[in-house]
Order: sequence, then C-alpha cells, then structure tokens
Amino acid sequence: MIGVLKSLTATMGTFMRKPVTIQYPTEHRKVPERERAFPILLWDFNIDEPFCTGCHACERACPVECMTVTMRDNPLFAEGKSKRRKIIDEFYIDYGRCMRCNICVEVCNFDAIAMNNTWSGHELSTVDRKELILDLDQLLDLSKRKDLQAWDPAAETRASTEGRPQPPIAQVGATEDAPAAGEPLTVAERSAEEQDSPPTP
Amino acid sequence: MALVLWGLFGVDMNVWLDAFLRLQLIVIVMTVTVMALIYVERKFVGRIQMRLGPMRTGPYGTLQSVADAVKLLTKEDLRPATADFWLFELAPYVTFVPVFMTLLALPFMEDWGVRDLQLGLFYIVAVSGVTVIGYIMAGWASDNKYALLGAVRSAAQLISYEIPLILAVLAVSMVAGSLNLNDIILQQDTIPNALLQPLPFLILLTATLAELSRRPFDIPIGESEVVGGPWVEYSGIRWSIIFALTEYAGLWGMAVLGSLVFLGGWEFPFGTSGFWGDFDFLYQMALVFAKSSFLILTMMLISATFPRLRIDQLMAFCWKILLPFGFLQIVINGIVLMYLDSEVTRDIALFATSGALLVAMAYVTYLATRQPSREARVAAMVAARSIQ
Amino acid sequence: MTNDPDLPAMTYDPELETIDLNINIGPQHPATHGVFRMVLVVDGERVEDLVPHIGYMHRGAEKLSEHMDYRQAIGYQDRTEYLAQFNAELCYVQAVEKLAGLVPPERAEYIRVILAELNRISSHFMFLGAFGTDLGVFGTSFTYAFRERENLLDLFEEVSGDRLMYAYFRPGGVAWDVPHNFVERVKWVCDQALIGAKDLDTLLTDNEIFIARTLNIGKLSIEDAIDFGASGPVLRACGLKFDLRRDEPYSIYDRFDFDIPVGSNGDSYDRYLVRLEEIRQSVRIVRQAIDQMPDGPILPEKLPRALRPAAGEVYMRCENPRGEYGIYLISRGSTQPYRLRIRSSSFCNLAALKHMTVGHYVADAVTILGSIDIVLCEVDR
Repeated sequence: MIGVLKSLTATMGTFMRKPVTIQYPTEHRKVPERERAFPILLWDFNIDEPFCTGCHACERACPVECMTVTMRDNPLFAEGKSKRRKIIDEFYIDYGRCMRCNICVEVCNFDAIAMNNTWSGHELSTVDRKELILDLDQLLDLSKRKDLQAWDPAAETRASTEGRPQPPIAQVGATEDAPAAGEPLTVAERSAEEQDSPPTP
Repeated sequence: MALVLWGLFGVDMNVWLDAFLRLQLIVIVMTVTVMALIYVERKFVGRIQMRLGPMRTGPYGTLQSVADAVKLLTKEDLRPATADFWLFELAPYVTFVPVFMTLLALPFMEDWGVRDLQLGLFYIVAVSGVTVIGYIMAGWASDNKYALLGAVRSAAQLISYEIPLILAVLAVSMVAGSLNLNDIILQQDTIPNALLQPLPFLILLTATLAELSRRPFDIPIGESEVVGGPWVEYSGIRWSIIFALTEYAGLWGMAVLGSLVFLGGWEFPFGTSGFWGDFDFLYQMALVFAKSSFLILTMMLISATFPRLRIDQLMAFCWKILLPFGFLQIVINGIVLMYLDSEVTRDIALFATSGALLVAMAYVTYLATRQPSREARVAAMVAARSIQ
Repeated sequence: MTNDPDLPAMTYDPELETIDLNINIGPQHPATHGVFRMVLVVDGERVEDLVPHIGYMHRGAEKLSEHMDYRQAIGYQDRTEYLAQFNAELCYVQAVEKLAGLVPPERAEYIRVILAELNRISSHFMFLGAFGTDLGVFGTSFTYAFRERENLLDLFEEVSGDRLMYAYFRPGGVAWDVPHNFVERVKWVCDQALIGAKDLDTLLTDNEIFIARTLNIGKLSIEDAIDFGASGPVLRACGLKFDLRRDEPYSIYDRFDFDIPVGSNGDSYDRYLVRLEEIRQSVRIVRQAIDQMPDGPILPEKLPRALRPAAGEVYMRCENPRGEYGIYLISRGSTQPYRLRIRSSSFCNLAALKHMTVGHYVADAVTILGSIDIVLCEVDR
C-alpha cells in the first residue's frame, strides 16, 4: 500500500512541473552548428562557381554509393578567371540511400562538400522517392543562399590544446594539399568573407 | 427550448413525451460529456507525463474530440472475413446499451433523473453486469486468438468484480435503509457515506476501475499483451462506440453513482433547502459535477500511474481480499444497525468499524505484497559472487 | 490449425478434451521490441512452450563491413546496436586499434568513455521506459525516461552532430573535438539523469503492483545464465559480479571508482534494479572522468590516410548496456577487414527466454522479454 501511494506522489509531483515538450512543426529546436543532416555542395562566391572539381573522392569513399559525379573542363580556367582546371559537371546524391556518415566531407580535398546543418536538411519528406535524388542545382542551393551555420572543427581542437604545440589537423583522411594560407576556412566563414567583398565579374 | 427544459423540471406533461425528452437530454449530455472526458483525460495524462497534450485542433486542442469523432466515423468499418456476422456487428451495442441504461436511474439533481426507481441501486448493478456479454460476443465472433483470450479474461474479471461492487453498495443501502437513490442521498445531509463507510467506498472505487477495464485493471484489453483484447478487430464507428461511448460514458456514470451514493450527491453539505428557490438545481448540478469530477480525476490519476496487474493477481485480490472484507463489512453493519439505536453512537460505530476494517484490509494487502527491504537487497548485492 | 513444421506440435489429450493454443506474438506486436516474433503454446493463460523466431531484421551488417574500409564500417556499428551506439563504436574502434597498433591520445580516451557511459545511461532509460509500458503503465514511465534520454541525445547531437547514428569515434581517437561547453553540459546532463532516475525509482521500484508483476518472474540461476552465455545486467541480476569494465578493463576504465550492482534473485525485478543502479554508477564514472579530462590532441599525430593493418586477427569485447559486445576482426593486410564478426549480447540473452518463460503466464512472457532488453538489430545483425 505504501509503495502504491509513493507512486501516486511521483505522478502528482510531475503534474505540477512544467511540460518539457515543444510544438514541433510550428516551433523548432535550435540545431547545433555541427548538426549532420545530408551532404550539400558549396558555392565559391569569389569566382562564382562550385568548389567541387568532380574528383570522385567522395563518390569512392561513400559506403552506400549514393553519389554520382561527372567532371568537365572548366571554361573559366581557360578564361583565366579560375584556378580550377576541372569543374563539376553533374552531381547527384540519392538522399534515400545516404546514411549521413560524414565521410564524404572528411575525404574532400577541396572542402567542396559539407553537411547541411540547418532544419532544411531534416524536413525532406516527399511523396516520391525520385524526388530524393538531388541534382547539382538543388545541392548548391543552400550554400548560394548562405543559410548554413558556421562551424569550424579545427577551432575546437585549437581551443582544447591552447598553450601546447599545435598538432597537425589530423582528421582521418585530412588533406595533405590544403591551401597554403594556414587553416582552411569553414563554410560560413568563407561565405561571410565573400559577402564583404564584391563578387568578381 | 426553454419551454422544453421547463417542462423537464416540473411542469406536468404527457408521461411518454416527458420520458422521451429526458432521454434525449441524457443522450446529448452524455455525448458532450464523453467528448469532454476524452479531452480532459488526454490533457490530464499529458500534464502528468510533462507533455502538452492535444494543442492543435482549436484553442488548446479543445476540438480534439470532435476531430477524433469525425475521423472515427468516416473510417472504414472493417470486419474480418471469418467473423461471425451478427455477433460481431452487435457486440458494441450490447456493450454500450447497459452502460446507457445505468444512466437512466441516476438522479443528477433533486427529483431529476429520467426515472426515479424505488430499486434504483439494484437496477444499476443488475444492468451494468450485462456488459460482459458484449465482451464475450466480440471476443468469440472476431475469430482472433487475442480477442478470445481477452474475452475469457474479461468474463472472469467483470463477473468477479461485480460481487465486490454489489457488496459495497449493499453496505451503503443497509445504512440508508433503502435501495432508492434519492433516499440514500437525502439521508446524507450531514455526513456523507464515504465517512461512515470508508471501506465500501474504497471497494467501490477499485471495483469501478475493474468494471470499466481501466488501468491498472485493463487486463482484458491490455495493449502490450492481447493488443486490445476483444476489440482488436474493430475499427471505425464500432470501435468508437466501444472506446469512446462505452468507456467514458461508463466512467461518467460510475463517477456520478459514486458521488451520489458515497459523497452525498447534491444533498451534502448544503442540504435540500436551497438558497435560490427555483434555481436550486444549478448549485445541485454544480455539486454533483464537482464530486464526480473529483472521482473521475482520481481514477485518471490512478490509471496513469500504475502498471497492469496479472489476471491471477487480480482474481486473488478480488476473491481473497475485497470479497471477505466486503462480507465482513455487511455483517458488522447488520450488527451495528440492529443493536445501536441512537444516531450518534450508530454513526460513530459505523465509522469506527469500517475504518478498522479498512486498516485491516490495507495491512493484509501489505502482508500479501511484502518484499525484502532495501537493506536486505544491498546486503545481497555485497554478498554476490565475484568471478575472480 | 497450422501446419508449420517449425511450430511445436500441439498436444491433444482426448480425455480432457482440451487443446493447447498457439499464440503468435510479433513480429508486429506492441510488446516485442522491434520485429521479434515468438510463438507461445498456451494452456489457458499458462505458457507451455515458446518458440522464438528471429531474422526479420537481418541486414547483413557483418558481410557489408567486409566490403568497406575500416572507417566506413563505423556507421554500420551504430545501426547494429541502435540504443548504445557509442558503446558499439567504442568496441569496434578498439578492435581496429588493437589490430593496427594505434594508441589514442588521452583526451580522446576520456571523451570516448564519457560518451559511452552517457550512452549506457540513455540505453538504460530506454529500457526503464519500455519496461514500464510492457507492464501496462500508461506511458508515464516511458515519458519520464524519454525526457531524460532527450537531454542525453541533445548532448550527443551537440558533440557528434547526429541524434542516433553518431559515427563519431575513429580508429585512433574521435572525429573532432567536443564543443567548448562540453564540461558544463555533461555535468548538467548528469544531474538531470539522476533526477530522472529518481522519478522512475519513485514511480516503480516500491510499487506493490510492479513488484507483484516482476518479482520471481523469469528467474535464472547463475549456472543457467552462464550456460546460456548471458551477460550484462541479465547475468549480474543473478548475483554474479561480472563486469568487463572491472574484470578485464579496456580503454581507461581501471582509473575510475565505481560499484557493480548485482541482484540476488535473477528475476525481472532484479534486472530492473540492476539497470536503475547502473545509471547512478555511470553518472559516477562520468563525473570522475569529466574532472580528470586533460587537454590535448584528439587523434594520434601520425595517422595514415588509409588504415592498412597487418595481417592478423583480434577479438575485442566491451561491456555494453546489454552485456558483452564483441568484435572479431580478421585482417589480411588490405584496407578492408577480411572478416568482421559481431558477438551480440542481446542474441545470447535472448537464448534464455524460453527457459525463463515456460510455466509462467502470457502476461509474464511480455515482462520477461522486456526485462531482457533486446535490440533486434543487434540480434539479427
């Protein structure tokens, strides 16, 4: 009998507390910067072209083979506006297959792919599976609109090792041929920088 | 409309028309109450679980029941190909009609019920016992093993718990000296029966939960075992009759019965002579509403808290604890009422004996469910074997 | 009624004219966590025989891993053990490290242990909530448990970026460092977890109905438990103090001070108590670890781009929330494992189901299945 009454005190106690749920579709929880939704491609505002050169690194590393990449010669390179010899031609990601393991981001040598860290990466329900296969324009759309949240994994590492000799950025598969000018910029830093400087004609 | 209501509250009228109008009023009130109860339960349980409960339909989700009703009524009414047609189709009605019939004898206000029956209490317990036939019909006709198991469980449970329920109301009717609900209420103008007879009150609460198949006694319909029991194959309107109407109308009816018989109904604490003359029925209604709401919320709190009992434990609780103490209460009541004439000593004796029995029942339950103490468990933990 | 040769033959006694009933529970049933199916042969309400059917969730996680390099297979560990992902990843990456001879830096070890222990808490909360629902609590225990699990998942999301499929541990360390406010967040989450454990404790532990439903239900002796290969809380509830974190310390578990809760009876109630107490012990470990956590790198300085362990084989076992989770890896010197075998704790614990259930009632079968706390993905792999 005592235990039964004790149980009732538990439920009556929680009755007095504030509800912890939120009304989801109208109210969104803030997602952290390192949220991993689905991979998207990034846009180079300096040159007005994607960062991606179509090098197939992500396609090869993808455990579920959800990517299809083709490459073409970069016309802007011929004009001398871009340093990229090759540029992405077509890029398809099947979000229905993707298992969001982040490996494509880690293997990318050009920081051209990132995980969508906004709510738009989560509310993707469609009536047809075919609509989950995204093409190049759709993949670049978010980056073009500069909606991504800023996140720099290297900065976290720097903060934790302050006052110690700086270790190399040693993510698995991290790039050896990173840009010479120190740390590679993160997605949003880059786009923020782009915003300040006028886009090249 | 005002004329009709006025007729219901006293003006002479053709007896059949009067009965018909009263029935209509009961049907409307019952439907609204059922919808309100569904909403209240969802909100109440939601708050217990620190959720918001329904919030989308209407302001604070108040139209949730309406949305549910529309959805259930427009859903396809499925029937398994191997089901027994007549039994399957009729079972929900057989379950619901007895519940509705109990509402006919309840005096919701002074001199206001559909019918004032001399044997009202007897009628109610007799009629509510018919519900079990609907359960068995549904369970048998569904041609489903879960349904069959649930039907057998409900047969055992509902019939068993009918007896403590009868004993509880019988004890009260002994004190009141009547089976007429109006008389029982009138007799409680100073002390409600719950004080005189706490043990029967507790038995009634328990038996009500069991009769309504509510947690912790939802063994016939336990979702995690028999997936809805007799009702596993039902859908659409038939399921809404069972679930919404029967369950919540039954809850409402039993709560009103409990508030009338044990909590003094519209009589306690203000007495019959009201303050507002012709509009006495307003505060009487409010009193019954408040008391039955209290009982309903208590039952909802209990259902949201406890795990489900197992069928043998449930039967043991009924036959080994509730039933003997119910009989003891009746015997003691008989002795007290026989030999004590003065009203004061009689009331004190009734309270003392029933209270003592209540304590004794709690102690017996405690003995039956006793468990090793925390210290013993810790000692066992320390003494456990290690692999090294 | 049925001619399925897998089902046990129904016994028919012409004298009494009773016939045992085959009741099929699952694969779609509210009480079978995942898609487990069991066929009960019942005499009235009493279970005479039980035939478990598994395999509905078989995705070939072991075979898939053989076609991936060592990093790609991490994601499949999450999907194998979807309630204790960090623990499963920890076991896998430690197996790879053992094979490749990698030594993770201190900070990475601490991050891993903290996250694995928090994941143990979240897994046990899941058990407590679901167990209450199996017993018929109207979702109350479930929401209490999920409230706390939500805090933990939020933390995991802040660290790894995902709520369920973390893919955060790497051979040699972790993928990236934890956020700046990690220490405060972990402390807060630990406090909340203790509050949640207390709520559930008040709601269930002393409740007579709960005790009546679980005490002496599904008893297992130590000898039987060892014979069945049971491990984890199922084994410890029998009264055997066996915990790999203590008896065969891996990672940095030998640095922490914690108790191993054991039961005395080996029944469902003891399994519940052991898990409830393990939540508190895990909080103790996490609090010690968060105080000791050093700064430093999170991956070894010299890490090859593609792991190519020398030919060899290794078996790594870890104490997961559900018991001993083992990874057996064979390398032939390529970037892909030649063979990856998962020793599933749920699978071995599930083997004792029939032994525990026969003779009890139908309702107890659900209780016992709930008390084993299976993860069907881990059983079927």
